[in-house]
Amino acid sequence: MRKSLAITSAKLARSVGSVFNKGGTAMPGLVAEKIDPQLLGKLVKNNFPKGIVVVTGTNGKTSTSKMIADIFTKSGVTYIRNTAGSNMQRGILATILSKCDRKGRCDAEMAIFEVDEAYIPIVCPYLQPKIVAVTNLFRDQLDRYGELDSIAKSFQKSFANLDTTLVLNADDPLVANLGGETKNKPMYFGVSDYSGEKIINDHTADSIFDPNTGEKLQYLQRYFGHIGIYRSESSSFARPKPSVDLVKMHKTNKSFSEYDVKTATGTQFVHLPIPGLYNIYNSLAAFAVGSTVGLHNAEIASSLQDNEAAFGRGEELPYKDKTLQMMLIKNPTGFNQIIQTFLKPKPQSNPLLICINDNIADGRDVSWLWDSAIEDIAGYTGKIFVSGTRAYDMALRLKYAGFSVDSLRIEPNIELAVELLANECRPSQTGYILSTYTAMLAVRSTIASKSGHEVKEMSQ
Amino acid sequence: MRPIKILHLYPDRMNIYGDFGNIICLQKRMDWRSILFEYHTRSIGEEINETYDIIFMGGGQDKGQLAVAQDLQLKSRVLHDHMKRDVPILAICGAYQLFGKYFITAEGEEIPGIGLFNAVTKATKHRMIGNITIQSEVFGMLVGFENHSGETELLEGVTALGKVIKGYGNAFDSKHEGILQGNAIGTYLHGSFLPKNPKVADFIIEKAIALQVPEFELKPIDDWLENEAARIAQKRS
Repeated sequence: MRKSLAITSAKLARSVGSVFNKGGTAMPGLVAEKIDPQLLGKLVKNNFPKGIVVVTGTNGKTSTSKMIADIFTKSGVTYIRNTAGSNMQRGILATILSKCDRKGRCDAEMAIFEVDEAYIPIVCPYLQPKIVAVTNLFRDQLDRYGELDSIAKSFQKSFANLDTTLVLNADDPLVANLGGETKNKPMYFGVSDYSGEKIINDHTADSIFDPNTGEKLQYLQRYFGHIGIYRSESSSFARPKPSVDLVKMHKTNKSFSEYDVKTATGTQFVHLPIPGLYNIYNSLAAFAVGSTVGLHNAEIASSLQDNEAAFGRGEELPYKDKTLQMMLIKNPTGFNQIIQTFLKPKPQSNPLLICINDNIADGRDVSWLWDSAIEDIAGYTGKIFVSGTRAYDMALRLKYAGFSVDSLRIEPNIELAVELLANECRPSQTGYILSTYTAMLAVRSTIASKSGHEVKEMSQ
Repeated sequence: MRPIKILHLYPDRMNIYGDFGNIICLQKRMDWRSILFEYHTRSIGEEINETYDIIFMGGGQDKGQLAVAQDLQLKSRVLHDHMKRDVPILAICGAYQLFGKYFITAEGEEIPGIGLFNAVTKATKHRMIGNITIQSEVFGMLVGFENHSGETELLEGVTALGKVIKGYGNAFDSKHEGILQGNAIGTYLHGSFLPKNPKVADFIIEKAIALQVPEFELKPIDDWLENEAARIAQKRS
């Protein structure tokens, strides 16, 4: 009774919400939760017979979830999934409510939920996921999440009570360590061959220490941050051998990557039409999830081949007669990955707009800009614009990386800044826009209002 | 004049809130004035067997801080020697705490500091997070971001870095922030601290040069961008 009242009220809240067009996806979840706090658990119990996939970690949650969704679609697995904006408890509840009927039944075999790191201990007991994929753990919004070690600890505790397959990044020591003391069988993914662009001024190595002894890890290869091939000299801790293993990197450039991945069933060639080592990792996580649910290498690869960039993650949007490419930056590691993939390769001439906001959803603390490897692009020749509530902080960061202040254009108003960037682009040139979360929403609405193209958040 | 020697302590473990920004700032402001410098680092198990002109140390994760606290004891004497010679020292957040006399953890355990600063710190249950603005008698208005749960109490004979205008400072309901003891500064402000507070950066550089050349006058730098960024940061708090 309580359950059905909660579902009906939530559905009502949703339709009222859509009349006002606020897009507040968590609202129905809030209403339902008030009426029946156990609703999430009850809804999950009678749904998704083939299980739930949870995707978490600092960077790559949205892109990885999208890849998993595409793989499921191609393979005929039915599923529901949440959006990046609703990756906390209420958002997940609201997502299920919006897809189920009045009796709380969803017509889907599986569910894919990306989950905010801070909400893992809260939602995992309800969701009882069949698979948990952890992409990586980096410093991110310390004002909100607290320190890395405490996040890792809370993950360890949460996973101990689950009967699940942990899909873990072998190349991230903190993530790999989650597979050490668990009854759950870990499935590791990793990169054993990489020879692309690298960041030199990398200040983002958060976890280069043996989680057991605290001694410094020895790195045979370091790709970015603390991601690489490592081992401890003081204990038996070492990078586990990946069971989804990138054994040969054929090509990686500003548009795509091609590689061979080795699994228990053979070696598979993958063409990934979105760039960046970070997306290679996301694709390996998705590959591992696909393997875990029993899909074949070839069908996973054929789905990855059709992948398109996720919301704000490298997607290209038309603006008048120009093309603007959107990259979300949230933390120094993410910023460095964008530098490594887009800004560092020559000729470094695409006009560039960097929008830094400091609202709560962005993180109020902007000190992470100083941990980003801006020095790596000191020779960038394209015009640089800075915008957002902390435009001057970004300009200052560029000044101290060696840029002349006169060469920069500071325009705190995002709408005007997008216009300036577009004007700077030659007809065939792509303008890059790097922005924090709320700045990205502002950029998108500017592009949507000016381009005549509809730009909306992806719907599933 | 020989190059200014910067010592960055534990950069591999104490680097959590844009601490490298302070080093970048010091280096650039010397570069722009054609002042030569050397950058040195010392971490766990590495002895300090030279003298330096600037000492910097940042904040770390709680876990990293314990190992550093132990190792710091071995470096205590030589750091005290530097302090006695009036070498400028900048200690941010965790370093500020460990340079005090002791730190009492949430579990009531006492972690000895090295007593460079006449101050003590106790862990509390509340976390003091947010933009902060302070008014310093020496430097004027200073801005930053604080994120700590330790409360630092200044003992007799030392002065705070500044008066809190907005934010928490040394403790949840304290009116003061940081410490200024001779040429040594301890503070909870990051953001990074020095880039938006160039007067403090230049104070450190000036005092470092004064070890060799007293009365050295620094060439002025056009700081309008620094000041504008600080003004906006203050408005956002």
